[in-house]
Order: sequence, then structure tokens, then C-alpha cells
Amino acid sequence: MRKIRILIAKPGLDGHDRGALVIAQAMRDHGMEVIYTGLRQSPVQIATAAVQEDVDVVGLSSLSGAHNTLFPKVLEELEKRNAGDIPVIGGGVIPNEDIPFLLEKGIKRIFTSGSPTEEMAIYLKQLLRPEETPIPPKQIAHLGIAVKKIEEVLPFYTNAIGLEVEAIEEVESEGVKIAFLKVGETRIELLEPLHEQSPINSFLAQRGEGVHHIAFEVEDLTSRLSKLKEKGVRLINEESKQGANNSQIAFIHPKEAHGVLVELCEHPEGSED
Amino acid sequence: MPEKYNHEKTKWEEDVKKTLKRFPERKRAFHTSSEIPIDYLYGSKEANYPLGYPGQYPYLRGIQPTMYRSRLWTMRQYAGFGSAIETNKRFRYLLEQGQTGLSVAFDLPTQIGYDSDDAMSEGEVGKVGVAIDTLADMEKLLDQIPLDQVSTSMTINAPAAILLCMYIAVGEKQGVSSEKLTGTIQNDILKEYIARGTYIFPPKPSMRLITDIFAYCQENLPKFNTISISGYHIREAGSNAVQEAAFTIANGMAYVDAAIESGLDVDSFAPRLAFFFNAHNEFFEEIAKFRAARRIWAKIMKEHYHAKDPKSWKLRFHTQTGGSTLTAQQPDNNIVRVTMQALAAVLGGTQSLHTNSRDEALSLPTEESARIALRTQQIIAHESGVADTVDPLGGSYYVEALTDELEEKVMDYLDRIKAYGGAVQAIEEGYMQREIHHNAYETQKRIESEEEIIVGLNQFKVEEEVNPDLLKVDEELEQAQINNLQQIRGERNQKEVDRKLQALRTNAKNQKENLIPYILDAVKAYASVGEICRVLRDEFGEYTGF
Repeated sequence: MRKIRILIAKPGLDGHDRGALVIAQAMRDHGMEVIYTGLRQSPVQIATAAVQEDVDVVGLSSLSGAHNTLFPKVLEELEKRNAGDIPVIGGGVIPNEDIPFLLEKGIKRIFTSGSPTEEMAIYLKQLLRPEETPIPPKQIAHLGIAVKKIEEVLPFYTNAIGLEVEAIEEVESEGVKIAFLKVGETRIELLEPLHEQSPINSFLAQRGEGVHHIAFEVEDLTSRLSKLKEKGVRLINEESKQGANNSQIAFIHPKEAHGVLVELCEHPEGSED
Repeated sequence: MPEKYNHEKTKWEEDVKKTLKRFPERKRAFHTSSEIPIDYLYGSKEANYPLGYPGQYPYLRGIQPTMYRSRLWTMRQYAGFGSAIETNKRFRYLLEQGQTGLSVAFDLPTQIGYDSDDAMSEGEVGKVGVAIDTLADMEKLLDQIPLDQVSTSMTINAPAAILLCMYIAVGEKQGVSSEKLTGTIQNDILKEYIARGTYIFPPKPSMRLITDIFAYCQENLPKFNTISISGYHIREAGSNAVQEAAFTIANGMAYVDAAIESGLDVDSFAPRLAFFFNAHNEFFEEIAKFRAARRIWAKIMKEHYHAKDPKSWKLRFHTQTGGSTLTAQQPDNNIVRVTMQALAAVLGGTQSLHTNSRDEALSLPTEESARIALRTQQIIAHESGVADTVDPLGGSYYVEALTDELEEKVMDYLDRIKAYGGAVQAIEEGYMQREIHHNAYETQKRIESEEEIIVGLNQFKVEEEVNPDLLKVDEELEQAQINNLQQIRGERNQKEVDRKLQALRTNAKNQKENLIPYILDAVKAYASVGEICRVLRDEFGEYTGF
């Protein structure tokens, strides 16, 4: 896959290019190829350059207040050159109230003053190379810890550490009993085998008590699983299945993470709190 | 006390007496709330010697013997948007509110020499400043503003000569002769190549226009500042304090060199050179920067250029608080930033000051925000007491040490620029631009890694809906301005315009001829900024940068 090519352009007469230059360098540091047009470019010049340079995306910067006129013009000129599919983003001094108008005209996103360059780089990678750049998980959903008997270890977490038990549940399908302990936005799950065939039992037999798996909270679990499969990542569950707390879950083979069992889970909006 | 210092002290005391005759003290008596009397100047007998006295070479402690004890700095808020009529209203409002000088912001087409109906102007007319096409617009802009009483600063560079001529022409119509006009044109093209971007012509003819202005004003506008050598935009583009001072002084030297080369005597133009600096957040370094710049310029003018007139040695400067330090997040916090920055400028001895409005990271300031910004200066002037004695931080171990170190670092940069063959060559080779960009990028990385904390931006954030009242420029203004221009074109004597433009063209080819009288003639015939610039573009060519 070739590098992302981005055209950074200054439409209109505005001479303030600190932002454009900083963005150009930051995107280069993120592995992109950057073409900077320089100052005072007309929409025609920008669209022509975008086509000639065969870029993946165009970034417009304006601080003079001419964005409502000039940004849509760039879109029009791209359209005329059958290049309407090149996404265009914008930045600079752009009042919030102008953003809906620009988005409606077809600008993909506006990065206003103070936006980290990191945010823009991640956005572009997700927009242009979604297959290479999965969306970062929102948080660690929980840490699973295998224990022989929940009641034996629980006093440590409650009395010595000060955590509170949220619930204790038995999940017959997995052959486990789980104690949920909330820590901020994430949880510790103590996993106790319900019977001999429980996967927790075999883990205990092989490795003894300890951290069993790490679970990431993600969005669109189904499409993630299919992308992982395409990439050849070994999965324990190729399809998601029902987990605790109304969640959908799937496990990735521990060999992929060099010995760590990774779980992906997706909670329906709001079900966790 | 050694003899030399005794002499300096006596001289200063005499200077104070002389100054007070012209500019009496602002108050009958200066004292603190506890009735402690406040003296003009403080300094321990030992520590004060090396610092010198205010109003004396090398002016570390200020360029006037009594500084703000006699006259406060000029409070000069940069304003301009939309049409000349709207801007005129804002000017009159600011004057009524106690502002003491005007400062005109022009829109980008005017600054780059395009008329409002030029294709290049689309979407930009009246956006970042007022649109001026012909003398008719300037007449509206300055309507009922007495040019013999108000000093006007104009942020105009490449077409500075044209706007200056319009100002002269309006003065004439008001019955104010050009010798009485006071004010400043920015006229600093070198920093446009480096940082601000509103250049038109290549460096050489641009420098010629500038020295033509120097020569013309020396004869005809003796009270007008012919240039405002600007570090402001260099700082906004991302430089640090040392680079701001160094590149500005290097540019200043390039103008002095060009003027001397054109045959002017240094003392004939140097007293009218003015400077324009930024004030950012780092309080003590900013104060040290102003003090160091003053001392460096004095030494350069006296020792390097052998100027004899003390007025040539004095670095007089305007300050504007740092636009790039303002955040779009929690915009009211910007009032606090502006206050600190303004205080640094005053403690650094500025001659005039613009305080930014809290909403400038979002759009042009509203009337209410502009008023708070002006009030900030007035509170510093009248309530804080910092203006009651000269250079109150002089002799502070920290400030003096910083001042010395800044001076040293600036001198290092000046040496490096000299090695390029001067500022013009250093700019053409991109040296200053690279230095500034490098610093800008490093700053951005420090902010993103939170090594540098910006309150409300990368720390102490809140969920907020930023939808304050913002100033919107009427979208129909562009068409109205175009209609105005076309009406003027229909009414004026076109033959006269053509003749004047042809005279300008002929003389533009002749290096030796001063172009200002020809531009003045064209302006008076209502030739437009775009038309005059087109002639000069034809003759001089255009600068395209990189």
C-alpha cells in the first residue's frame, strides 16, 4: 500500500501559514507524503494540483474568514475534474457556527485552532486506510484473573485494596463464576471454574492462578473480526458470542499477543453503567 | 560616585526639568495607597551605575527621561472590517471611549494591491480589515476625524506608498497640511517575505519604494513614522523572543543600509524609524526583550552607523499582545493572558499598545470584546500604579541578567545573518523562515506532549459549547464595495487617471526618480489601489516566493 499523499493548500490571499507548515511537517512525521502549495492559491489551482499530484486528500487552511466562499469552490473545481471523490478537510480560524455549513457543502471535517496534529493524523489514517488502521479501543474493559476460589481471594481486593464487589454471576456457557470489581471506568473480573471442563480449570492447571486475559472495549466488533480474519490473525472465536452484562465478546488466540489472551468486547450503548 | 556617573545623573536631572516643561506630570503628586511618595526613578547607588538613566544612551531604562510620569503610552487598538463607513463608526466609538490613536486594518485585497472586483479578491473583501479601493473610500474612513489631532497607524506594507498618499490627500481636503500629519505606516516588506505573506513585488523594487517614502517624508511629513519594523508577525509565525528581536533588528539594519545606499544621510531618516514588537506570556523574558532591543539598537545606530542625532539612537516601539497565545477554548481566559502581556509591554517601556480581544482565536472582535481590551490598558495605566515610576524593574537581578543574555543571543544571530550578507540575502535563502518554522514545530510538539501547558487547551479542560456572540462581516458587502468602485470609475475623469498612471509608469523605469509624487497624483485623480499596483506589477514584476 502506498503512503498517504496529502495536498496542503492555502486558498485565497491569507498569508498566515504557520498552521499549514506545522501540519505539513507533522503529517510527514506520521509517514505521509505532503505537498504544500504555498500561499495565494485559487480554487482552480488547488484542484488542478490535487489531480496532477494524485493525492488522497486535500487539506485547506484559512485564517482570513474567506472559508465559506473558498472551501466550497475547491469542492466544485474538484468535481469539475472528476475528482469529487478526493476528500477535503479544513482548518484555521473557523467559527463553530460556520462548521455545519461547510460540512453540508461536503467538507469532510474541520480542525479548528488548538486541535492536536495527532488527532488529524489518526483521522486521516482511519479515513484513507481503514484496513490498516483499526480504530483504537475506547478503553480496557476488564482484566480477567483466574482464581481457584473467589471467596478466598476476594478479601484481598476488598479489604486490602478497597474495591467494591459489583456483582457475582455464574455464566454456565463458559463454565465460570465471575466476581466483578469496578475500578474507574474499567473492571477486574475474578474467574473461578464451575467444573472440570471449564477453560479456566485448564488455565489453572497449566499456569496456576494469575492474570488470564485482557479485554478491550471496541465498537463494531463484527466488522473488526472479519478484518482480523482477512489479515490472518488467529481467532478463537471467528463469530462474536454472548458475554456477561449483555455484551458481545470474542477471543483472539494468545499466540498472536505472545502469550496473552486478548478479548474484544462490545457493550450496547449505555449497558455498562 | 565616579565622575562619569555623576555627570549622567546631573544630565538626567536637567533632562527631566526640560521634559516637564513640555509634558508636565500626570498628577500633582505620586504616592502609594499608604502615602509613600513615589520617585521618578529608583536605583541603589552601586547598582544603578551600569544601567544608565532613562532618556540617555543606550536607553536601557526607557527613551524618555520621565516616561509615563508625564505621558502614558498611546492606547491604539487595531480595528477595521467591512466597509469604510462601518469602520469609521468603530473608530469614532473607540475615540469616544478614550482611545488616543487610530490603527487601521485593511482587508487582504487592499494589502496585496487588488481591487475589490478583481477575481483574486473573491471572498476576501472586507474580511480581515476595511476595503479601500480609491480615495473616495479613504474619505469615508476618516470622515469627521481631525487628522491634525489624531495619529493614525496603518498596517499596510507592499502598497504603503499608495495608502500614505491617500492619507495625505484626505488631510489636504480637511485643510491639514502634510507637515502636521502624525502616524505610522507599517511599510516593512522584509517581514512579509519571512512571516506575513502580503508581499507584491520582489525585494529590490520593494526596497526602492521604501527608501522613496523615507526621502519624501523627511521633506514633507516630518512627524510621520515612515516604517514600523515588525517583529510581531515573526513571533506569531512561531519564533521565540530572541529570534523576534534579532530578525527585526536585522531587518532594520537592512532598511538603514538601503537608505544610506540611496544617498540619504542616516540622521535624516533614522529618527522616523519605528518598531513593532509582540508581547507573549513569559513575563520577565518579554520585559527583558524590550529592554535589550532598545540597548542593542542604540549601540548599532551610534557605533555601527555613526548616527549623531540622539533621536536616531532611540528605539521607539509599538506593542501588540500575542494573538497566537489566545485559545479558542474558554475564551474568557484570554483576558487574563492579555493583561499579563500588556503589563510586560508597559514594564518594558512601550510607546504605544494594542491589547487583543478575548475572541480573536474565534473571529474578529465584537464591540464588547474590543472595549474590554481597551479597558485592560486603562486599568493598568490608572489603577495598578506601574506607570508611576520609570522602569520599575530596572536593577532586578533576574531582569537585568535576562536582558544581558538576550542581548548576547541576539548579537549571535546578527553575526550569522551578517555572514549571509545581510537580512535580504538571509531571507532569500530561507534562513530566517527555517529557524522560525523549526521553533514553531517544536512548540507544537511540546504542547501535544503536555511538556508545555496551555490552560484550557491541553490541561484544565472543560466541556463547553463555544458559541459566543461573534462579529460577522456582512456577506453582501463585497458586492456593495464593487458597485461603489464601479461608480467611482464612471464618475472620475478617466483621461486624467490614464495620464497620471502613464507618468507613474514612465518614472517607475527610472531608478533615480522618487515615485511618491507620481503616486500622490494618481491617487488624487481617484486611480484605484489595484490600478496603481498593476502599473507597478508590470514594471517591477511579482515576487512568487519559494
